[in-house]
Amino acid sequence: MIPDRLESNLRQGFRESLLPKLGLVLLASILIMAIFAPVLATHNPTRTGYLDENGNSYPPLGTSYTTEIGQDGEFVEVEVESTSDHLLGTNDIGQDVFSRLVYGARTSMLVGLLGTGLAVLIGVPFGLVSGYYGGRVDDVMMRIADTMLAFPSLVLALALIGVFGSAGFGIPDPLTRFGLIDGMPESTTLPGTVTVVVALVTWVWFARVARGEAMSVRNEEYVTAARSMGASNWTILFKHVLPNSLTPVIVLATIQVAAVILLESSLSFLGFSGTTLSWGYDISRGQGYQRTSWWISMVPGLGIVFAVIAVNLLGDWLRDALDPNIEGEGGGA
Amino acid sequence: MSIGKFLVKRLLQGVLVIWGVITIMFALRAVSPGDPANLIVGPAADPEIRDQVREQYGLNEPIYVQYVDYVQGMITGDFGYSFQSSREVTAMVLERVPATLELAIAATIIAIVIAVPLGVISASRRNEPADYGATLFSLLGISTPNFWLGLMLILLFAVFLQDPMETYLGFTFPQGRRPVGFGEAVMTLVTTGYAGDLLTWVRHIMLPAITLGTYFTAMITRLTRSGMIDEFGKPYVTATEAKGIPYVLIRYKHVLRNTMIPIITVLGLQLGTLIGGAVITETVFNWPGLGDRLIQALNARDWPLMQGIIVFIALGFVLINIAVDALYATLDPRVTNE
Amino acid sequence: MTDTDDILRVNDLSTRFFTEQGQVNAVDELELRIERGEVFGIVGESGSGKSVTARSVIDLIDAPGEIIDGEIWFDDAELAETVREDAPDAVDGSFVDLLSVSPAVRQSLRGTSFSMIFQDPESSFNPSLTVGEQLAEAVEVQRRASANPRSTKAKTDSAEYSFGNLLLSTVLPSQQFVTEESRERAIELLELVGIPDPVERADEYPHEYSGGMLQRAMIAQALAGEPDVLIADEPTTALDVTIQAQILDLLDDLQTETGMTILLITHNLGVVARMCDRVGVMYAGEIVERGTLEDVFDDHVHPYTEGLLGSIPELGGANGQLEPIGGNVPSLLDHEMEDRCHFADRCPMAMEDCLDHPPEFDAAGSEAHTVRCVLATQSYTEREALPPNYFGDTERPAGDKHAEPAHSDGEQPAERTRTTISDSGGESR
Ligand code: SF4
Repeated sequence: MIPDRLESNLRQGFRESLLPKLGLVLLASILIMAIFAPVLATHNPTRTGYLDENGNSYPPLGTSYTTEIGQDGEFVEVEVESTSDHLLGTNDIGQDVFSRLVYGARTSMLVGLLGTGLAVLIGVPFGLVSGYYGGRVDDVMMRIADTMLAFPSLVLALALIGVFGSAGFGIPDPLTRFGLIDGMPESTTLPGTVTVVVALVTWVWFARVARGEAMSVRNEEYVTAARSMGASNWTILFKHVLPNSLTPVIVLATIQVAAVILLESSLSFLGFSGTTLSWGYDISRGQGYQRTSWWISMVPGLGIVFAVIAVNLLGDWLRDALDPNIEGEGGGA
Repeated sequence: MSIGKFLVKRLLQGVLVIWGVITIMFALRAVSPGDPANLIVGPAADPEIRDQVREQYGLNEPIYVQYVDYVQGMITGDFGYSFQSSREVTAMVLERVPATLELAIAATIIAIVIAVPLGVISASRRNEPADYGATLFSLLGISTPNFWLGLMLILLFAVFLQDPMETYLGFTFPQGRRPVGFGEAVMTLVTTGYAGDLLTWVRHIMLPAITLGTYFTAMITRLTRSGMIDEFGKPYVTATEAKGIPYVLIRYKHVLRNTMIPIITVLGLQLGTLIGGAVITETVFNWPGLGDRLIQALNARDWPLMQGIIVFIALGFVLINIAVDALYATLDPRVTNE
Repeated sequence: MTDTDDILRVNDLSTRFFTEQGQVNAVDELELRIERGEVFGIVGESGSGKSVTARSVIDLIDAPGEIIDGEIWFDDAELAETVREDAPDAVDGSFVDLLSVSPAVRQSLRGTSFSMIFQDPESSFNPSLTVGEQLAEAVEVQRRASANPRSTKAKTDSAEYSFGNLLLSTVLPSQQFVTEESRERAIELLELVGIPDPVERADEYPHEYSGGMLQRAMIAQALAGEPDVLIADEPTTALDVTIQAQILDLLDDLQTETGMTILLITHNLGVVARMCDRVGVMYAGEIVERGTLEDVFDDHVHPYTEGLLGSIPELGGANGQLEPIGGNVPSLLDHEMEDRCHFADRCPMAMEDCLDHPPEFDAAGSEAHTVRCVLATQSYTEREALPPNYFGDTERPAGDKHAEPAHSDGEQPAERTRTTISDSGGESR
């Protein structure tokens, strides 16, 4: 699937630079976090009420903060100390921030991978057909793609969620289901609508890349030869054109995972997600509390930053080695 | 192809795209579950009133009639009435445009002013500390969600810099109005010589603009760096060196210029990201722009308002991209001659 | 120094490329003398180091390449005077060693003392500036230099190149670095090289020119600084057969007219025969045979020269890659080069003595005729011949030209080792 020459480029890029290694390590850690969330989490991430006797959130280990507590109409300043029980403190309603960080990785990775995969499944066939047939078919299909591009992806995503609502459904978690771990959620919620929606708003980029590849091989000798041997268009598309476009699609997909993670977090930040166990949602929880409980929004944000950096580093590595000329959409939301 | 023909072609394509956007929005509403009348008067309303409302908003017509009406309305600039406030959508959109435009332009300016020099330095001092710094910055910049960045900036100013909230933060903008817009502030400065309004404006827009601009700064830095490195490798650079042109001149007049030409197109395509970013930045900073209004409309399931805003955004996107193409065509002599 | 009227004396020049695969000895202890006003040809296959030699002379070796050793003495009394104060060691009579002067001085010689024309005119012009503009730019270099002779400051630190101006030049149609006179001179130059309607053509972009016209424009551009030495690197290779002859005629006329010295790099012996006074045949970073045109064509000794001549294309004949001799393109990788005649593995007359690196022997013919081959001193005997397959079957396919990584003839420069998808499209089938 990946030709030898590209493979050696990949190796060389990996050997020469620290960045792909860093990306790989980061991504591996985040994936481990996502998969073994029930093992790594110290508390049930959905359980509330881990607050001190005055109802204050705990700060991260080693820090403290001062807040005011009203007693009999009078306010007194109290110092809230951290506790070793809650490494990264607790949020406004007393959920363990570290455990939520760990579980948030699941949502991010699930949506990032599934959403991108779905976008590939929609975009690549679309682009291949458009580029391979060319002519009027291509014109019509490209106008459709242009139309999709005229929507900012976040805006279109919001519109779609506005229509379909944001449903999530539970995926049972084998670790807890079979009683290996106690006290953790029995299933993980996959924000289904969000996953579909991010695919619906990002597939166009795959269509563009696949179309370009299909156009470039359409008149190649081996395709013409296959055609003259009586191969049907579909056979040619799948046997010859598709494999040829895989490399750039893989590169783009990697880059797009980053964009999708950002998109998902934006949607859940705005409250349009099917799950509350999400980094974006947690950031929005901390929104009113920056002055005192800064960690509530800072910690999940760092989770996003690291996840996106990891994916971007790998994406850069692949892009440099395989194809320097791919544009995808930024995830800047 | 002359540049005129080229533009006409792009314009026609743009019209098609806008029609597509309008149609998609209409289709979305049509498949949207729930009776829109409920949204206007509430589910508990008297059926008669409800019928009246349905009549008034044309909700009883067959779907294709509604579609034709709808498209007609769009063409004449009539986006209908908001379900929620019964105000004209067009007015509700237009009053929010300046704030968003100011934010987007400020962010873009910040991005270009910082990113281009940074990219140039990075490319010309390859593998030196300055390059590593710029690369790290751009990696962080493209990987940071801007709503989080906004919150962290607020944290930085409010907590660590001990900034009295009033200077940069905590504006509530009652009734969604900023105390002063850019136009007014400039007018005041010109007519009365009073610069205070303009300063207020700068204070208000500073953090949102930085928040929105960071991603683009990072992206343009990357593009400039890699573009210049590619460009430096081209034979004409050697040929230009051979004829004795000083290095500085090669770098700017030749290489940077040729690097910026394709970047302009990429920026046009990334405009969607800018607008998406603006939506969310506005929510974080309560910036009374289109995005802020869009979120309100979504939460209230106010379809006409939502459609109006989205179609308007798409229109802006298409027009700006045509402008970008035109700019590209004038900068790159090969485009119109092919 | 001898009393011949040399303009350029290159001693011991070694240029290396430090690449992934190892150190590449693109040019190895090369000696070269070029007389004022002559046309000197360097001929060889791709990867023989001829292009790198030319670029070393004009100082266009980019990383990962580096001139690691040698001297390039250039005869210019005026320059010698100015350099003498700062770097007395770099001056010998009226000669200046270009490898011992400051980079700024070297840079200042480009365009005015040395100038170069390249193989592919289409990629050698900036696509987004008009041809006239680019010529005028080159004229400007000369104008500045003569306004303030030999002051390198005048060319590089001029106040006009302020940061703001430079930034503006990226956006505005760049007028500000070029004067009206330079523009007029550019048009004259276009006329000089035989471009019809030069006034109109000056305002056209490179893509609006044909290949031949553009090569003329490039020659005009190279003449803008009235250089003493013009380096022509495969000036006709990328052109149509009929155009090739025209371009050579043009070069010939211009040379007669201006009396400039031309260093002509080519793989085409037809071009050499047509243009040159003296020739050096290059192989594996060395000149293996040199002499007058007659020496090399009629009295040649080296089997490689023989091979080249055996496959000489008619001028205007085959324009393809010259592969005159069977066997492998030599590896210039330091660790693969042995201390023997580098041609031995392809040489039909390789003998035991060839396993010692031969020095340059004098050969019959003119005084200047030398050859780096044992056949100059002994004749071929079957008895001493190396057995066939002596060098094993280390097949190095002719396509594997890491030999001359930067700017081999007709190849991408080495920096662009990244593979693009379209390049590799064929492999993923
Ligand atoms: S030295 Fe020997 S091997 Fe080399 S060219 Fe001469 S005869 Fe051939």
